[in-house]
Amino acid sequence: MKLAEAKADTNALIKRIDGDAHFKSRITAIGVTEDIPVQIVKNDRKMPVLIFCRETLIALDRADAGKIEVAEI
Amino acid sequence: MKTRIALLGQPNSGKSTVFNALTGSRQHVGNWPGKTVEKCDGYYSYDGVRYTVTDLPGSYGLTGNSDEELITADFIKTGQADLTCILVDASQLERSMYMVAEFASMGAPAVLILNMMDVAKSQGKSIDAKLLEKRLGIPVLPFVAAEKGGYDELKALLAKELQSPHMLSSAPAGSGEGGVLAENSAKFEWVGRMLEGVSSARSSGYRLSKLDRLVLKPVTGKFVCVGIILLAFLVAMVICIPFMSIGSMIPMVLHGPVESLLSGLGVHKWLVSIFSSMLPNVLYFSVSMAAFVFGVNLVFGYLEEVGFLARAAYQFDGMLSGLGLQGKAIAPILMGFGCTIGGTCGTRVMDNWGQRMLAMAVVWAVPCGSIWAMVPVVSGMFFSPAGTLLVCVAVLAYMVLLMTIVSKVFGKKLAPAESRSGLIMELPPYHKAHWKHIIKEAFVKAYGIFKRALGTVTLVSLFFWALSFSSTGDIAGSLLYRIGTAIEPVTRIFGLGWRTFMAFLTAGFAKEAVLGVLNAIFTGQGSIMDMTFKTGAVTVDNSMLGVLMTQTISKAEALAFIFASTFSVPCVMALSTTYRESHSLKWTARIAGFYIGCALILAGIVYHLASLFL
Repeated sequence: MKLAEAKADTNALIKRIDGDAHFKSRITAIGVTEDIPVQIVKNDRKMPVLIFCRETLIALDRADAGKIEVAEI
Repeated sequence: MKTRIALLGQPNSGKSTVFNALTGSRQHVGNWPGKTVEKCDGYYSYDGVRYTVTDLPGSYGLTGNSDEELITADFIKTGQADLTCILVDASQLERSMYMVAEFASMGAPAVLILNMMDVAKSQGKSIDAKLLEKRLGIPVLPFVAAEKGGYDELKALLAKELQSPHMLSSAPAGSGEGGVLAENSAKFEWVGRMLEGVSSARSSGYRLSKLDRLVLKPVTGKFVCVGIILLAFLVAMVICIPFMSIGSMIPMVLHGPVESLLSGLGVHKWLVSIFSSMLPNVLYFSVSMAAFVFGVNLVFGYLEEVGFLARAAYQFDGMLSGLGLQGKAIAPILMGFGCTIGGTCGTRVMDNWGQRMLAMAVVWAVPCGSIWAMVPVVSGMFFSPAGTLLVCVAVLAYMVLLMTIVSKVFGKKLAPAESRSGLIMELPPYHKAHWKHIIKEAFVKAYGIFKRALGTVTLVSLFFWALSFSSTGDIAGSLLYRIGTAIEPVTRIFGLGWRTFMAFLTAGFAKEAVLGVLNAIFTGQGSIMDMTFKTGAVTVDNSMLGVLMTQTISKAEALAFIFASTFSVPCVMALSTTYRESHSLKWTARIAGFYIGCALILAGIVYHLASLFL
């Protein structure tokens, strides 16, 4: 499942991050790395996805959230 | 002796707060050589020694994702600092320690500042700084940047470390060929090892606060955000109005006495006019500008510090990304409806120079309060109330179009497609505001603007004064009139006769002077110069002006004039603020030229179209 499709108020494990090197570098620099758990805080249509990860609330562009493969936990 | 300190930290780490608190107003702001990234240097004295501080551009890492990161990495690698002071957010320690992991490969002396200890504490987190210090091998200082209390300790620590520096004793393992994902995973693993047993009470899950549940709602939240920003703008106005009114009295108070004094001394009337009309007005403009910058920085400093601006950015990111802008730009754009100077200053919240410059260019398209005072009055002279309403709606519609055009034309250079990446932004926890710090910072900014505005506005005023000065006091005696009538055949192409074209030119000087200038031109009473330079002291009889204007010019020309003066460059104060804020004369001039050109073309189109129907 893509992060963009994950339901709000659930927890998920980041399985794989796709996209170009620039995106990978940016997303991991803010703390979203592979094999870590995240909490999906808010996921409304046409709005950025809000996740909680490494003590930080992060807003993520919807298109970018589609590049991140997650598994529900 | 080693005295060069660099400040390194991610956005929201409180780096600028520390920089401002250390250096106060002893700062120099410029550009990094060959780059458009802002460079802030400053100095402070401690125990009789003068230390220089460089505020490195805020970025999430040092890997080279942007100009900011390249500059920062290069600065440290080439040893331009004797000591790097790394700031991390103690309330989000694990994530913000990534910067330390990045720094580890640099092999340079450093100290670590755990900022926002107050926020961490309020979240029930405790941090064992001593243990962390032992693991890292560099000094670790728990800190609250916005409170004055800790700075002596910080300065003492910096002085000591410059004498006997420490370097990180541990570094993340290089992953070799795993690529950026593996490398950054390794860095966070290292951070995890360093923080084991250091930080306690990790929260199990995140719950949105009541306020966030409202502010982050897809539709309602947008209205709430717009409401809060407009309210903030009103507050800024309330704060600066007293200063502005005092400023506006300067020309009235000084004009008479200075004039009679100098005339009595037999000084040439040109000089009398400069000292009695122009210079008091320059002072008034500069005071107003400074007051505005103060008010805007105060409320925006507050909104940013409490964490609201990040929420607004989340709300409007989708809408503004179409213009190549980050969501944060919503605040300066909305402020532009009040005053372009305010909007221009508000772009300070943008992440990098390109985004700031583009945001300023877009803000220029937003008609300011003075224009909204002029448009209904002038169109009311020519059109029915319904027609006037239609004109206002058309102005708004064209504003959206112009913003799009500006972002398309300048966005390619200022925010290149490859640098436009989707939103990846942290929403910091709501903080309590540290007022003392916000007020001080706003004051420092306002004072800086005031000092520099005096020079710029004097120069531009002198130029305009020379154009509008008339030895007879009559319009026909001015250079502006002679130029205006001489080039009328050309300006006619754009639908503007010499009268409206002159008013269009003066609108570029001060929008609030437009009605006064129209009055001077059409009634022939009072000189343009008096009208422009003593806006506060002049009353205009709109009905009389209306009669004269409708007799002299056509509806089509009036319409062309309204659009041209609304969408031309903002006033000279906004222009000079843009220059001061962007540090780029080239870009300010380029965008100004574009606006003037567009305004004239627009006037031509409006005129010729309107001539067909009206």
